Amino acid sequence: MNAIEIKNLSKSFRGLYAVDHLNMTVPVGAIYGFIGENGSGKSTTEKLICGHLVPSEGTIKLFDRDYTDPGVRARVGALIETTGCFPNSTIWDNLKMQAINLGLSNPDDEINRVLQIVRMDDSARIKFKECSLGMKQRIGIAMALLGEPALLILDEPINGLDAEGMRMMREILVDITKKYYCTVLISSHILGELEKIATHYGIIRQGKMIQEISAKEMENRSRVFVSLKTKDMGGAKKILDKKYSKVVESEGYLQVYDVKDTEQIVKYLLENNHPVSEIKRNKIGLEEYYIELMSKKSGD
Amino acid sequence: MENDNRLQFESPSFYHRIKGMLGVDFYRLFHTPLFYIFLCIAAIIPAMVLGSTGDADGANLYDNTWLMVAANTPLYVVNNIGEYANMNMVFIFGGVMVSIFIGHDYKSGYVKQLFTTHAKKQDYMISKTVTGAFSMACMCITYLLGTIVAGLLIRADMNVNVGSLILAIISKMVMSLGWASLYTLLNIIFRRYFGISIASSFFLGTGILVIGAAAIFSNSPILNIFLYGASVYACLSSTFLTFLVCLLVSLAWSFIYNLLGTIILNRSDVY
Repeated sequence: MNAIEIKNLSKSFRGLYAVDHLNMTVPVGAIYGFIGENGSGKSTTEKLICGHLVPSEGTIKLFDRDYTDPGVRARVGALIETTGCFPNSTIWDNLKMQAINLGLSNPDDEINRVLQIVRMDDSARIKFKECSLGMKQRIGIAMALLGEPALLILDEPINGLDAEGMRMMREILVDITKKYYCTVLISSHILGELEKIATHYGIIRQGKMIQEISAKEMENRSRVFVSLKTKDMGGAKKILDKKYSKVVESEGYLQVYDVKDTEQIVKYLLENNHPVSEIKRNKIGLEEYYIELMSKKSGD
Repeated sequence: MENDNRLQFESPSFYHRIKGMLGVDFYRLFHTPLFYIFLCIAAIIPAMVLGSTGDADGANLYDNTWLMVAANTPLYVVNNIGEYANMNMVFIFGGVMVSIFIGHDYKSGYVKQLFTTHAKKQDYMISKTVTGAFSMACMCITYLLGTIVAGLLIRADMNVNVGSLILAIISKMVMSLGWASLYTLLNIIFRRYFGISIASSFFLGTGILVIGAAAIFSNSPILNIFLYGASVYACLSSTFLTFLVCLLVSLAWSFIYNLLGTIILNRSDVY
């Protein structure tokens, strides 16, 4: 069973496609990183899944059921653009209203539980409008977590957060998936952070899904490269260009791709009078992978 | 096995859904100062009108207290807005209140949170209509209390057919349902334009738009099939038939407006 299965989904606004015949599969229990540039259709897709927008065509299934089925909808939590909180009400009152709407049998216990998860159990009586951005994001997650959702949809939840806020958000998300067996669909521009938690990725461009890949698969596919420094970088690059397929100068380092044996490259440069002063072995991260994929697609 | 149990999805019944949605709306209603402000306004307005003078010789606008609740006979076409200054004014306050209530839903993004979960669009329409109707019915009560206190203070005439008065008040309270559904529909249509929502509710609530149309028919009972006409029909000479007419008209228009609102919501995006 998949948590989300989208087939041929489109949404057009005045003839322009924001989402263009998109297919997407999110396995149950995954943390699915949804990546794409601004205006690529990430938020529109999320809004379609949440039922905020009416699809122009295509089907959306959540846990093998139609996405409008109230049974499955009752187990969907989302944080898209706004938290949906009333600014003049306290955090507690806002959560209480959502708990009542969901018909939870012990709303107060449930509110305490979600406040603990988002590390805000001592701030329940603060008015929402008095909260910082980080607090508001965590309240949004707490709202989405009420009623133990099976699917959580988060649109840029770490935007605007400081390093500590990001760390906390990361811990919360990992906690949720492990403890509550919740599938998370998360879109973010901060790929470095996403890479630390995501188990699957979907890369969208101009409303079309261009690749879906698991984190494991991506790691296998990721190219290895060696970063090194020498006194004469230009001269060393000329020498390396003769032997290696791709050599790039970046951030004060020479990056040499597809190197099987690090020792061999050091030896090769020494033989050509370019002794290596610093060397490290790297693997392409999500960010580089994404940029490379995008540049390939631009060239198509 | 435990994980499989976590993926059981039980469809909530209509009763379960509407109970949750009404629960939220009533929780909000009782926790918002706006509701209590409107209750106070509804109580103060009759006192102000009763105490004001209607002409140059300084006589009060009404010599009988209960004229503040309704006219003696159905007065569909009024010569001045003063003749409309009775309990029907509650429907104006109600219109503004429903507009603000629904406006906040959209402005805060709460409505998105709502529609992400099991809430259906029809539940939203029903819940807003019932909450709006309840608040207007409460305003009718504070309006009545304000009228009684003001009448006693200025020692206005209190003579009335009690049975007709009670029927008139209950009929007007019943009409709240129809008016609330109309305001909910208007606010759904103009959900992205808060100012237009309030203005449309105000103009329809005051009857300013409808009074003009009523003039075409003059004082004809055919107007009773509309919300405005039925609200005016509930007067100090009301009978049980008046109550029945108001009930039927209110329910019929509530159904129509709720249906229209549900169709519009189902076919449109939530922003």
